[in-house]
Amino acid sequence: MSEAEELPRSIMRRVVKYKLSRCSEDGEISVSKDGLLAFSESGRIFIHYLSATANDICKESKRQIINVENVFKALEETEFPEFVCPLKASLEEFRKKNARKKVVVSKGKEDEPKKKRKLEGESSDKGEGSEKGEDNDKGEDSDKGVSGDDQ
Amino acid sequence: MDHQGHGHGHGQNPSMGVVGNGPQFPYGSNPYQASHMTGSPGMVVASPGTIQSTGQPPSTQLGQHQLAYQHMHQQQQQQLRQRLQAFWANQYQEIEKVTDFKNHSLPLARIKKIMKADEDVRMISAEAPVIFARACEMFILELTLRSWNHTEENKRRTLQKNDIAAAITRTDIFDFLVDIVPREDLKDEVLASMPRGDVPVTGPPEALPYCYMPPQQVGAAGVMMGNKPVMDPYAQQTHPYNMAPQLWPQPPPPPEQQQSSPDQ
Repeated sequence: MSEAEELPRSIMRRVVKYKLSRCSEDGEISVSKDGLLAFSESGRIFIHYLSATANDICKESKRQIINVENVFKALEETEFPEFVCPLKASLEEFRKKNARKKVVVSKGKEDEPKKKRKLEGESSDKGEGSEKGEDNDKGEDSDKGVSGDDQ
Repeated sequence: MDHQGHGHGHGQNPSMGVVGNGPQFPYGSNPYQASHMTGSPGMVVASPGTIQSTGQPPSTQLGQHQLAYQHMHQQQQQQLRQRLQAFWANQYQEIEKVTDFKNHSLPLARIKKIMKADEDVRMISAEAPVIFARACEMFILELTLRSWNHTEENKRRTLQKNDIAAAITRTDIFDFLVDIVPREDLKDEVLASMPRGDVPVTGPPEALPYCYMPPQQVGAAGVMMGNKPVMDPYAQQTHPYNMAPQLWPQPPPPPEQQQSSPDQ
């Protein structure tokens, strides 16, 4: 398995430590290296398992795009129904945040003069060639509705 | 104010003042606060050096001063409480204003890569990786809790891989993770759950051959069943009976002996 497919261990450690600090009141609990690796691997397998199930549900409904409803159905099918309610809440939060961002961006665009926009467009065109090929792993999703196959 | 001249005129120690006919206190260590002393109804300041009482015994004066002191202390406490309440009210308001918490969110691009590793997965909506990230986080929290239970059972302070393995084997919904559990750990779990005396034996006991072994070898290689040592089925050996010099079938015991033999 390539390192690109691994989940970041720093975040895994943070999540695990957060839970352990809640579990025990007295003292610090440490996590061994192989334990942390096992958590990371478990998370990766869970994502594979869930995406495969969601993909099957998606194919059953004769669609090509895995959407949120497919994921929720997959969670129920894989016997994790208790995750659905909190996930729906966090999805609502995500949608609200996105809506707010869009409003702010649109306001900013209206306020800017046209000349400024033209200048920015020219400068971005120049710098686009070098940035196109790079694959950023920041976790920021593109604003498109769907991300298709890059193969 | 010249304390020395005044003190000498009365024939006293220059650094001492007299409070009625009660105990003497040095000027440096004032037993009560000045505001209480000047404002008390039963006290008259005759001169800078001496304080004379007006008909009340010293015990009642002390009681009054204590009451006054307590009253002032209570007022201070009340003010402090009000300040604290105001402070925490402000804190709560500030907390409620803050909505953008930094959660330990997993990177969406990485999750998308993991999903795309499966060749069957073609297209993913933009919201799906967000849900996957949160679901994965919740799953890790659940697994951590179950692993910690095993750690606590063994009275340890370090969460190890075998704790995660135990959590996976104990929980049915984690069956898809059995591949990451080492086989030895699984075997140990199964052996621990089985009662020690029970050895799976097929067929009637008369059909089984038994062998004579010296007593020191029985514990190492075999399990005792009644009076007969039987080889441990978990000890994986190609020739289970090569330790014994001779093999012979078991003679059926006479019925009288069978009844009289005590059960173990």
